Amino acid sequence: MKKSKTLKLVIMAALAILITGQTAFSAEKPTIAPQCKQCHQPAKDVIRGTLVGISENFKTVQVATGKLVWVINYSDDLKLSGAEKISGIPKEKEVAVAFVEKDKVPYAVSLSVKPPATVPPEKIVSTDELLKLIASGPEKGGYVLLDSRPAPRYMEGHLPQAVSMPFDKFDSLKDTLLPADKEKLLIFYCGGVT
Amino acid sequence: MSPESARRAESLGYKNVKVFHDGLPAWKKGGHIIVSEAASLKDLIEKDMSFVLIDLRDAKDAGNGFIQGAVSVPMKELSASKDKFPADLSAPIVLYSDKNAEEAFKQVRSWGFKETSILNGGIDSWKKSGGKISAGKPGTNIVYVFKPRPGEISIEEFKTIAEKGAPDKLILDVRESDEAMHGIITGAVNIPADKLGERLGELPKDKEIIIHCVTGIRAEGAYDTLKAKGVKARFLNAVIQIDKDGKYEITKK
Repeated sequence: MKKSKTLKLVIMAALAILITGQTAFSAEKPTIAPQCKQCHQPAKDVIRGTLVGISENFKTVQVATGKLVWVINYSDDLKLSGAEKISGIPKEKEVAVAFVEKDKVPYAVSLSVKPPATVPPEKIVSTDELLKLIASGPEKGGYVLLDSRPAPRYMEGHLPQAVSMPFDKFDSLKDTLLPADKEKLLIFYCGGVT
Repeated sequence: MSPESARRAESLGYKNVKVFHDGLPAWKKGGHIIVSEAASLKDLIEKDMSFVLIDLRDAKDAGNGFIQGAVSVPMKELSASKDKFPADLSAPIVLYSDKNAEEAFKQVRSWGFKETSILNGGIDSWKKSGGKISAGKPGTNIVYVFKPRPGEISIEEFKTIAEKGAPDKLILDVRESDEAMHGIITGAVNIPADKLGERLGELPKDKEIIIHCVTGIRAEGAYDTLKAKGVKARFLNAVIQIDKDGKYEITKK
């Protein structure tokens, strides 16, 4: 099933080249997955998406940008960042692959694995600051406190006057939970190590 | 999760977004107020888990209807009631009242009960959520017997499976993939907890699934997911650290 699908895709891509005289990865195929667009701009020579698989025999990496999958060739001089060896990168990891076109086929130059999110110090709220805010309450304190953990964890125990906004439900809850005023102080917290 | 949420809020145009990075563990450790919801209390009751529920109202009010399973310890008697409380400081203690219960929280928390919380909205929100009210007189003695959480596997059994393997069991690591990248138990499979629902097909049908994360929190969520799908599973409710060679260390919570 999968094989025949891949074959079909290859044939279609070949047809596309024949008909339009263009390479398969020009017009329609997005180089960026929707979730990556939140922080990154689309670029012609970088594919951003989730890792579907790596074939060390064929020396290809497959990266999904939404529903479409890119198959990118690589060689041993591929520059890696965020991983020591290519076989150690788990499936579904978010990656960025910079590539060049050789004989109308994409060749990977470098592959970087998305690092864990870090927070710059000026955006961190300390326990003491938060205690003061909570003592005056969301209205007087002019803030909204949001708990990013799954709902059952929130139910079990949360900070006073915090609102439950599980990370995986962010998009569906944003219109109801986030204030209209974009200047308002939003504070997110979660459970640290779980 | 919170740094990612903050990033998303910023991408929506919010200009003043911050993260309380120390998060809930530090907040709890500091002894600050923790609030729980009626839904969680219902869950504790339904799953028949061990916990202590304290009605802080005057005995007269408590006698007019109290939350199922509650023990009456009126606020004014609380500070003299320390001896009634369990010896096990990890016992979950839920306090409720019809007034502000912060003072009671501070008192109980100062005795060392790490898992103390105030029921949000007190007995009123319990009623509103459709929770059961018991009639008669609530008990005045606290009885607490530790019970493992449903689905918990013992540390010893987990170790045996991890070391010797078991033909009818599979260890499932539900940490994020970048955590698993830095070391995983030999023979274990990694599927991040939030992807488990959509990747169920990757699990063998004929094996019991033994789940772990770092602290047991995500593992328990994964256990609930699998149980709801009718998959036989248990989870490790302890702290586990794994190095890059797959060597691990388990400590009790």
